[in-house]
Amino acid sequence: MKRSPAGAAKNLVSYLLLAGMLVFLLFPFYWTFVTSIKPESELYGKTVTYWPRKATFESYTRLFSDYNFIRPMTNSLIVAASTTLVSLTVSLLAAYSFSRFQFKGRKFLMTLFLTNNMFPTVLLLIPLYAIMRKLGILYTPFALILAYTTFTIPFSIWLLNGYLADLPPSLEEAAMVDGANRAQAFVRIVLPVLMPCIVATGAYVFMTSWNEYTFAVMFTNEANRTIPVSLKNLIGQLGVEWGMLTAGGIITIVPVCFMFFFAQKRLIEGLTAGAVKG
Amino acid sequence: MGRKRNPWPYLLVAPALLTVLTVVFIPVVNAVSMSFQSYDLRRPSRIGFIGLGNYAEVLSDPLFWQSVWKTVVWVGVGVGFQFLFGFILALLLNRRFFGRGIVRSISLIPWVTPGVLIGLMWRWIYDGSYGVLNDILLRLGIIRDYVPFLARGDTAFPAVILTIIWQGIPFFALMILAGLQGIPEELYDAADVDGANGVQKLFRITIPSLRNVIFVTTLLRIIWVSNSVDVIFNLTEGGPAYATQTLSVYVFNKGNSLNLGYAATMSILLALMLSSVAVVYLRRIFRNQEAAR
Amino acid sequence: MKKVFALAVVLSMIALAVAAAPKPVTITHWYWADNPKYSAVMKEMAADFNATNGKGITVVVQEYPWDGGGYSETLFRAAMGGGGPDTSSAKLTSTPLFVSNNLWENLDKYINRWKDKDQIDPALWKTMRDASRTKNVFLMPWTTQVLYVYYRPSMFKAAGISVPKNYAEFLDACAKLTKDTDGDGRTDVYGFGMRGFRGGHEPWGSFIQARGGTFADFTTAKAVAGMQDFIDLFKKGYVPPTAPMDGFNEIIANFKSGKTAMTVHHIGSSTGMIDTFGDDVDAFPFPGAEGKWTSMGDTENVMFRSSKNKDAAFEWLAYLAAGKGQITWCAATGNVPVSKAVQKLPQFQSSRFMKVSIEGAPFAGIYPVLDTTTEWISTIWPNTIAAALQGKISAAEAMKQLQTGLYK
Repeated sequence: MKRSPAGAAKNLVSYLLLAGMLVFLLFPFYWTFVTSIKPESELYGKTVTYWPRKATFESYTRLFSDYNFIRPMTNSLIVAASTTLVSLTVSLLAAYSFSRFQFKGRKFLMTLFLTNNMFPTVLLLIPLYAIMRKLGILYTPFALILAYTTFTIPFSIWLLNGYLADLPPSLEEAAMVDGANRAQAFVRIVLPVLMPCIVATGAYVFMTSWNEYTFAVMFTNEANRTIPVSLKNLIGQLGVEWGMLTAGGIITIVPVCFMFFFAQKRLIEGLTAGAVKG
Repeated sequence: MGRKRNPWPYLLVAPALLTVLTVVFIPVVNAVSMSFQSYDLRRPSRIGFIGLGNYAEVLSDPLFWQSVWKTVVWVGVGVGFQFLFGFILALLLNRRFFGRGIVRSISLIPWVTPGVLIGLMWRWIYDGSYGVLNDILLRLGIIRDYVPFLARGDTAFPAVILTIIWQGIPFFALMILAGLQGIPEELYDAADVDGANGVQKLFRITIPSLRNVIFVTTLLRIIWVSNSVDVIFNLTEGGPAYATQTLSVYVFNKGNSLNLGYAATMSILLALMLSSVAVVYLRRIFRNQEAAR
Repeated sequence: MKKVFALAVVLSMIALAVAAAPKPVTITHWYWADNPKYSAVMKEMAADFNATNGKGITVVVQEYPWDGGGYSETLFRAAMGGGGPDTSSAKLTSTPLFVSNNLWENLDKYINRWKDKDQIDPALWKTMRDASRTKNVFLMPWTTQVLYVYYRPSMFKAAGISVPKNYAEFLDACAKLTKDTDGDGRTDVYGFGMRGFRGGHEPWGSFIQARGGTFADFTTAKAVAGMQDFIDLFKKGYVPPTAPMDGFNEIIANFKSGKTAMTVHHIGSSTGMIDTFGDDVDAFPFPGAEGKWTSMGDTENVMFRSSKNKDAAFEWLAYLAAGKGQITWCAATGNVPVSKAVQKLPQFQSSRFMKVSIEGAPFAGIYPVLDTTTEWISTIWPNTIAAALQGKISAAEAMKQLQTGLYK
């Protein structure tokens, strides 16, 4: 890397750009936090305050003491983590097949998966509820895991297929020439290089199941409610529980960011793994 | 290899296919059949086959056409800017700098935020009486009096679009960032030797190498955004005066009114429109993949 | 040895009790909570009922989000999908949907042999029957609320006006209370907090009927005149410019922050009003002119046909309508009790807001409960009103759209 005044200026521009983006992306989060620690009288005050005159963390204590927010958080985590695991495994197999084999019906099947998500779920709710009931998994986490897996598989397949298609097949072919079979070549060569993309796709699946409301309200009861439903319970006919709602939002967001902080390290590891073997 | 067909590709696809078919096959067939019936659950005694009656009614509904137009803008502008900003953010996050890990994870926040909260928070930010956006714009001297952003026909739609842009940037940033990791460093080194500048490298190496990822992510995002309801619904419910009613919100409203035949018809038309967009993409994607083989 | 003996006694007592009690049954009940406190009260009531009913009935309550009315659709979809609860809370407006799909149980035979049936006003029973468009009762009354006008006595005093005695004075008050208090050329206090978003049809109906219009035909000159009054309040700036998107939350926040001097809501929000203003808040019934009408809000409980324990389910509904549940719930929520005996309890007679509610009761009514009503309320009304307020369509055009939307 050369260091020049032009390079420094370019660096500055990119950091300013990054800073600007972060302000746009993070300001609503900041505002959610500020709202969660403002007393209600200050929310509707004559002037908008950017930091509460009198900060209160009462909403956070209430959320856990009166509202037992740990439970929906655990439920959401179980559902989202299981969905991610199942959906990724199944999608990875299918995506590998689509990207590495040429077979009859390949394009048809790929297109079929894509059309799956073109249909608004609001129309499917009654029959879906009936199916979950017949399967005997209604009001258990399995109902949501099955529903979310179904609706994340198509996109996951497509995403993974896209990444796999960008990876040169020569990588594993070389390994196969060396005597490894297809499965070994996949696990040893493709999987490490693909890790960043698996993390990204996994994040997509996780977020989708973490934030979903429509299925969650139909397929769960109080024992296995997830976060979005619990949050929505705070909006009644007599107004919005601003404090608890925003506090709940913050508490929902922070652990996921924390998890991703560790997951994103894989984004770099994938690169080095690929560099060594490629 | 004989002429015997290799079973492996089918076996690998089978688990995904079976899961999807178990869950959605019956409901989707059911929805398609509803579009050919007078299927209003509020009037169950009148349920029956009416051929293309729903289609005729939908196609002559001015609100339907208005919603189609809104959807085009919603998707075009929404996904367009999500991609643009997401791409830039991915490039920035791919540089090495102190605290990159933290910045990467916090820039995902919009995507982590539950839809319920997104709608409510942005509604609160846009609020015409106590909203922080009004306060900021007023302090900057851009406006002279508070603007009821969501109550006005001309500002409500841009406001909801801004929200979906905000929500979708991290998706593109993350997906493209992941794709960037697969580009071999040697390509850039070779370009440096040729004396290429940053922009040239971007267009000659980065974008071509990400071709598939870009195609796939934009296509998926188009499908996702055109079907997304919760941001608009939690912000405006499609109002005021249908100013923010995209086709999917219209379907959602009709579906919640339980006029399912009408909603199903509109959904099928939406799916057809999406398919026609998808076909263009799919041709390119399949051609790219064949070329790479 | 003593311990063993004691244990044997206890065990045999339990065995006796179990043998004597009817077969234990479990009833699932769905409800929504308008705030976390209501949620807690509901759970307490179920626990109290389970402990005291003496018939081995266990009620399990399941809370569902109100979701701007989406509650009804969730309930409906579950029931259509073959599931759903034994009993649930419901709104009158959803009656046609559930009844035409044969999901709710006809309660007539249970009510006929119910000892407390006379505790409920005959007029209320009639409302329940009318809603189903049959001769049968499908809903057990639970609570009602009568809409009235909240106002700030201090602002009235400052503007030199008294409580409006008729509709003209009310419109006049909206104008006089609108003020630029700090002289910067911008309105700081608006006379009236208008609800133009979902749910606003209730106060809006009072304008239409005050002018002598009816809900049978929105297109009459009288009804259009009421609509014109409504639009004029907005155009002249006597209501906040955010009105087309103002729902419950906004009108209450604006009133509490002093941004509006009057707004229309019911007793459910009175506790919060008193917390904010103490004595500087009061109410009057929505005044009339040629006609007089205010909206009666309602919440009922229903039984599903799919329930396997209907007698037990009715015990629970009765507990909520006229038993201890009625007292607990109305005391906690401030709603108007439906049971006459409970209405007479001193705790429901002391509040000034309860008095205004009761004053408004004689001319309180509901919208026609048709199969189109819920869609009309949730999408057609707010969007048509917004178009009219923004000047995209005239009052007459708006009323025509509202007419075809409800009576199609």
